[in-house]
This record gives sequence, C-alpha cells and structure tokens, in this order.
Amino acid sequence: MGASVNKTTETAFEPLLQFDMEMEDFLSDWHHCDHVSSYLARMISHNRTDPVRHSNFFSSALNELLEVSFRGGTTDGKIGLSIYRQGATERVQLSFPCPPGQARFYREAVSKTRESDAQARYLDAISNDLAPSRESVLLDLAVNYDARLRLDEDAAPAITLIVDLPLEGEGMVS
Amino acid sequence: MIAAGLPQRFKVGFDPNSQIFSLAGTIRPRSIDEIAESIHALREAIDAVRGVLYIDVKRLIQMNNTAFQAFIRVALDACRERSDLRLVIVTSSVVSWTTRMFRHLSTIEPQISVEVYDSMFYPGQDYFEDTSFIPILRAQTKLTWRHERTILPRHGMRPGIAVADICCGIGDFAVLAQKEFQPARIVALDHSKPSLAYARTVAAEFGVTGIEYTYGDASEMLLEDNQFDFVACRHSLQIFNQPELLLKELYRIVKPGGRVYITNEKNSHCLGEPRAQSIQWTYNELARLLSHFEMDVELGPKSRRYLADAGFDDILVESFMVTNLDGDPQDFADIIAGWEKMFAAMAARHGEAPEFIDRFRQGFRDHIFAALHPKGYAGWPIWAASGRKPL
Repeated sequence: MGASVNKTTETAFEPLLQFDMEMEDFLSDWHHCDHVSSYLARMISHNRTDPVRHSNFFSSALNELLEVSFRGGTTDGKIGLSIYRQGATERVQLSFPCPPGQARFYREAVSKTRESDAQARYLDAISNDLAPSRESVLLDLAVNYDARLRLDEDAAPAITLIVDLPLEGEGMVS
Repeated sequence: MIAAGLPQRFKVGFDPNSQIFSLAGTIRPRSIDEIAESIHALREAIDAVRGVLYIDVKRLIQMNNTAFQAFIRVALDACRERSDLRLVIVTSSVVSWTTRMFRHLSTIEPQISVEVYDSMFYPGQDYFEDTSFIPILRAQTKLTWRHERTILPRHGMRPGIAVADICCGIGDFAVLAQKEFQPARIVALDHSKPSLAYARTVAAEFGVTGIEYTYGDASEMLLEDNQFDFVACRHSLQIFNQPELLLKELYRIVKPGGRVYITNEKNSHCLGEPRAQSIQWTYNELARLLSHFEMDVELGPKSRRYLADAGFDDILVESFMVTNLDGDPQDFADIIAGWEKMFAAMAARHGEAPEFIDRFRQGFRDHIFAALHPKGYAGWPIWAASGRKPL
C-alpha cells in the first residue's frame, strides 16, 4: 500500500497517529476509504469508554472525509492524515492535493458548516439531491456529528481539512 | 439477498408478512449504481405494502452518504406519491449515528417516523437490571466462579486469546477471567447502561484495565465476524425470548475453531434438605412463572441441542452444583433472599393470588433454612456447555 503510520506532535491536542500514502495509490481503489477509516478507528478507540461504539462512530465520520478527498483529490503528492485527542474530542487533520481553484470551493463549503443555517442547508440537500455533494457531506459532519471544521491552505495546492469531533459524550457514544 | 459487488458485507431483505424491509451490514458504495439492486428492492417493498412499511436499520453498521441519500430518495418520493403510506424507520440506540442521520426524515416528511430500538424491547429484563439486584449478582458470580475457574480451561479458555463476554451484566466474570487467564483481549458487552457503568466503576476502583466494556444488543452486535477465540454467554440464553438468535450472533463473532461457552440453569432442580417438598414446589412454580415472561429457566440440559442446531461441533456439556458448602453458607442464603424478592415481584406482576405468593415465598425461605441449617444442604444446579465453530 505504500502507507506508513508514525507518531507526530501538536500543541494542546495529544497526537495519536499519523498516516500518509501516495495519492496515486490511494485513488487506485475506492475501498481504501473504508479500510483506512475502519482500521484507524479501531486503533485510536481502544482506550475510549466504549471502544466498539466509539470506533464505529469515528469510522463513520472519517470515512466521509476520506471519500471527500477521494472524489476531490488529484494524483500528484500524498494524502496525509493525522489524528489528535483532547479530552472528549478527536481531531482529524486531512491533507490532500486538489486541482487549482478547488481551495475556494472548500473554503466556502467549510464556511457554510459554521453558519446558523447549516441544518437548513443540510435538510434541503438531503430532501432534493439525488447524490450527496462534497458540500453536503461536510454539512452532514457538522449537523450529525457536531463537528467543527476549518480549512488550512498553507501547503497549496494541497488543502488541509481540520475537523474536531466531540464523539465521547451524551448523545454520541456514552 | 446479498448486494452485488459487496459480497458478505451488506444485506437487504423484505418480509412481506410483517412489512419489514431491512438493511444490515456496511454499505459504502462509490456510486448509486453499485446498490441499484437494493434500491430497486426497496421500491418493490414499498409497492407491495399497504399502510405501514417498517425500514429496519438496527443492524446497519456503516452507511455512507451516497447510500443514505439514495435510499431516502426512494422513501421521500414514495411518500410524496402515496398519501396512504407511512414509513417507520427503526434505528438502534447502539449505533448512535443512524438515529442522528435518519431522525431528519421525520422533519422533512410527516409520513415518516423514526423509532429507536433499545433494551426496553426485552420482555422482563428490567427486573435483572434493577441496581438493588447487583449484590446478588456479585454473590452469584462469587459462588459459580469457584467451579468455573476449573471448568473453563476444558472449554477452551487459556491465556493470550481474544475473549468476549456477551451479556456481561455488572462485568465481574470478565474481571475474574482477566485476572485468572490473562487473555490478550477481552470485550464485555451488555445492553444495560447502569450495569456497564457499575462495571467500569468497579474495574477502575480495583485498578483493572484493558477490559473493553461496550453497550450493545446481544442479538444485533456491532462486533465483527470471526474475531474471538472464546465467547462466553452466561445465564443469559435462558432469559432471552429468542435464544436461537443470540446463538447465531455468538457463532458469527467466534473464530472458526474457537468455542462458545454458555451456562444455564434448570431451576426446577434447585434442591434442599430439610423442607425438600416446599423448596421443590416453589422452584417448579418459578419455572412456570418465568415462562410467562418468555424466559426458559429450564434451558440448562437443552444446551447440547441448542449448540448443535446453531451449527457448532465438538460439543461439551457438564453440570455443577453450587451449594451452601461452597464457602460461607450465608452467601448462598443471600442469593436466595434476593431471588425471593425479585421473583415474588414478578409473580405479583403476573397477577398471582396473594395466597400463591405467600406459599411461593415460603419455598425460598425454606431453601435459606436448609442452607443455614447446621446439617442442611442446599443446591443450585448449573449446566456449562460449549461448542466449537467448525474450521
């Protein structure tokens, strides 16, 4: 697979693991999204209060992010995935190369997840669209997983989605 | 049916008699085309029903947005076309994200409602989840463990293996098994959140780490196939109304070559001297009473048949008798006192006459008398059985 899992660091959030893979290899098989999300979810969930359910919930969210990168990414460069923890929150930092001009699309899509009408936009999307757009997937994370999303464009043309998932708590995995 | 292109990971089914369309497993297609057959099956199910269609997603382990939106598109369109149609989506309290995703549909479409399936669907289970019963459960495990610690290795328990304790209750068996046998991994599952909270507290207080306590429905587990070398399910088949369903799940999660270990009772064989007749009468009546709550506390000797019917081979069955001579007789007496309280309440709920309840209680008191009598003997027989999942 050409992938590696290494330790990394970040302030405030405790680093759990880092995964990277050549984008060309990642894009060669759709099932990489499922396999990577399931495997990494199990790895980071073992010391949560309910490891089995935490893993299921985390995998569900992570898979959607990986599918976004699969559908929007390009073959040049690497996909990088770092996972951090602070208390009840898991932070996913997902970097992947994307076509020129796409950064603006993600900037706007991420911005919409933080607006007060995020839920209305999400309901409108699932009511009327035949298939989910990348924008509605990000809204899904905000609405159904209480995720907080932001975008880092420092490594253009790659973009980095930073997603905080407060999965361990009442209403989530409790 | 198994969905094309995703063998063994995703199943859809339709039961026209109960008007239930079910989705189970992991559904993460790249495009709608990959699940076209299943989408078509949902359309056909909707066309075939009058009134209510239940869409059962209790065993849905994963579903991506592509699949979610494709299925709900069919559901929403059907409601817009047919004013007579009602859709009830049944999610599980175990898989939190399904409820959070599907709940929006009732906001979008009034003909759709979402019901969350949880432990209240188990008839009579609340009696066993009453926290006042915890000391009794602990005393029971204390006495049975004296026997089981020597029995378990004959049924495949050994150090370094992956173990699951399904229907773990307050988790004391998992703690004892971990201390005694040092498994590489141990998962303990129960559908009672208060019991699991108690289990986690006790484990933390005693510095026991590494037991993965998880909330789940034993008949619809999130655990993956073929994961464990040894799966225990103690005193639980007998209080579920569908033991076959539970065994099917135990079979699914144990590895080929691994073993499923079950313990069950035959309550009518509880015994004591003196006052044998009174004791015998009460336990015969207890078995009859619990059958009204869809519990078979006579299941113990049927273990061999249940294991064989579930597909296991190399079946081992043995029985042991917990008695008042196993340590302090007061421990045995305390267990019976707990049973008296709990089962008398169940008799009252069933509408038994006060005279019956008085006599019923007397049998338990006589059992305690026998247990504490200096020359008395009191026994509680248990059947331990295991079967191997064929390679």
